[in-house]
Amino acid sequence: MEPQQQAGSGDAPPKQVAQAMDRLGRAARLIAEIRLGADRILEALLVSNENPRLSEKAAELTLGEEDAMRRHFLDLRTVGKQLEDSGVLSGALRSRGNSWGLHMPLVCPDGAVVAYAWKRQLAGQAGASAVDRARLALKAFSDQKRRFFPQLEDDQLNRSNNDTIKFPPTKRPRLLHRPTQSPNIDSTEQKPMLADILKSIQTEAPGVTISTYQRLEWSKRAESLALDQPKEQILSNLSGSFNEVAVIELVASGVFRVLVSLHPAGSTDPDAVAFFSPNEGGSYLHSRGMSVHHVFKHVTEYADKALQYFQSSDPNKALSHLLSWICSHQSLFTKNCSKCCKLLAMDKSLALLLPPVHRPYLLNSKDHDQDFATAYHIGCSSYDV
Amino acid sequence: MTVKWLMHFQPNQGTTLTSQVMAEACAVAESFPGVSRDGRWRSAMTFYRAVPRDQSLPAPSDLPRDLIGISLHDLPNEYLFVMRSQRLILRAHSSVQTVMDKLQSYKGRFFINFEGLQYKWGDFKLRIGKCLYNPNEALRGIVMEVEYLPLSSMDKSQRVMEEFYEIWREAVASKLLAGQFINTEVNFVEYGLGDSYTPQHTAVLYGMCVVQVIASSNKNQ
Repeated sequence: MEPQQQAGSGDAPPKQVAQAMDRLGRAARLIAEIRLGADRILEALLVSNENPRLSEKAAELTLGEEDAMRRHFLDLRTVGKQLEDSGVLSGALRSRGNSWGLHMPLVCPDGAVVAYAWKRQLAGQAGASAVDRARLALKAFSDQKRRFFPQLEDDQLNRSNNDTIKFPPTKRPRLLHRPTQSPNIDSTEQKPMLADILKSIQTEAPGVTISTYQRLEWSKRAESLALDQPKEQILSNLSGSFNEVAVIELVASGVFRVLVSLHPAGSTDPDAVAFFSPNEGGSYLHSRGMSVHHVFKHVTEYADKALQYFQSSDPNKALSHLLSWICSHQSLFTKNCSKCCKLLAMDKSLALLLPPVHRPYLLNSKDHDQDFATAYHIGCSSYDV
Repeated sequence: MTVKWLMHFQPNQGTTLTSQVMAEACAVAESFPGVSRDGRWRSAMTFYRAVPRDQSLPAPSDLPRDLIGISLHDLPNEYLFVMRSQRLILRAHSSVQTVMDKLQSYKGRFFINFEGLQYKWGDFKLRIGKCLYNPNEALRGIVMEVEYLPLSSMDKSQRVMEEFYEIWREAVASKLLAGQFINTEVNFVEYGLGDSYTPQHTAVLYGMCVVQVIASSNKNQ
């Protein structure tokens, strides 16, 4: 074997990682050689059994193989020792302080070699949400296409779309019978005004205080929340003119603070939503930000899906549906899960205790009695919802 | 400030409290998946007694005879006083302790230290600690503080904390500890405290809890 360069602690982490990968490769080759050697020995035994004339030759071969095998085993032992010392098999170097963010390659119990220990988890997680988002994007795009480009409607495409995308059965007739609209013609359905939507939400959910802000106004307020939490909830701060409203803030005292951004400003088209704790403050408090608390992180992720659903299934009323759905979260910390009837549940994969953070957002065809009344833990909610 | 509940360990009838129980309680906390140890914590409590200026005159009745002073682990720059008889709480800068020493109107009679381990579990923070009587470091009790970070309203977090308490009690019972954790129930309205959680709430909780701890340790000795 050529003289080994020992990866001392003086070597930079990338070199150590590269050497570890190199050694793993060598170990794999040695194991392959050993397997081949074992095969050859067995073959020689078989041949000598069937054909006694060739037994001497077979014996020579066997001895030769035995030598080779012994050498391979010794080499494998050396490589194994080196790998063990460099922490590959035990993942011991994962928490080294100055490892430049790199980790030694890890040999997982099922035999897979992972160059970076966290990559596996990331790949799994990214995969799942990518599928979700791709599916929702496909739904959204095909609906928009059907609405704005009816002349391009392809029967075959339609049929295959309806097969692959999971639509709740009651939804399908409504979409197909909707009057075709193009952006230039006045829509037959009147788009509700922002002021009306907000008023109706306030009557629907008196426990939630709604305020509107322009973009810059909100940034200032977010910063001020970091410095000083208002003791009592300020009265609702609705702008005089709704033409430039870009941020809607919904506060349920002691429960949540939700931010919804509108794009373009002054319209009734929501474009992002985020949930926060009422005691959070700072410049990260905006509709595309993320709370530091796990419970609100999960509700926000779910809210993203709800928003995309509302936008794709009923764009004119997306904002009112979204706001109603948000207001139903006032009971986030008091309503039991509709499946297991408990409030807190241990989520095994996340290793967290969470209240039910998934509230189904599917709309019925008669949408005036929508109350979004059920709630589920992450583990209790069915996949479609 | 985020909501906290405070519990103390009540040993079973006839058993004595040892530091083994503290280790067992920590083991229960560590047995939940996703729990990570987050360092140590330390709070200190002083029981003050009034020192009458003039021994011959009777003490004025409106002045409290006993005073509890608390220094909390998460507020190192502050010192809180609790007057249980008058249901008053005072929040002061930590240098008030030197003022008390100089004034000598109240003298510290005995001291209790709380110290132990802190754990983070998702949105919860758990602190399990020993309650040590200062002069001789005798173990008087074991306390556990549970904090739920997303909420500051007592009312809104009530159900969450109750369920957590149940989960904790079940875990402790299943690990066969020689006793159980009892939650400290306080009527905060009597102290003039509202729904929004503050350090004053913590001070009252500790005051009440220590009384119960001392009572139960006296009973068991």
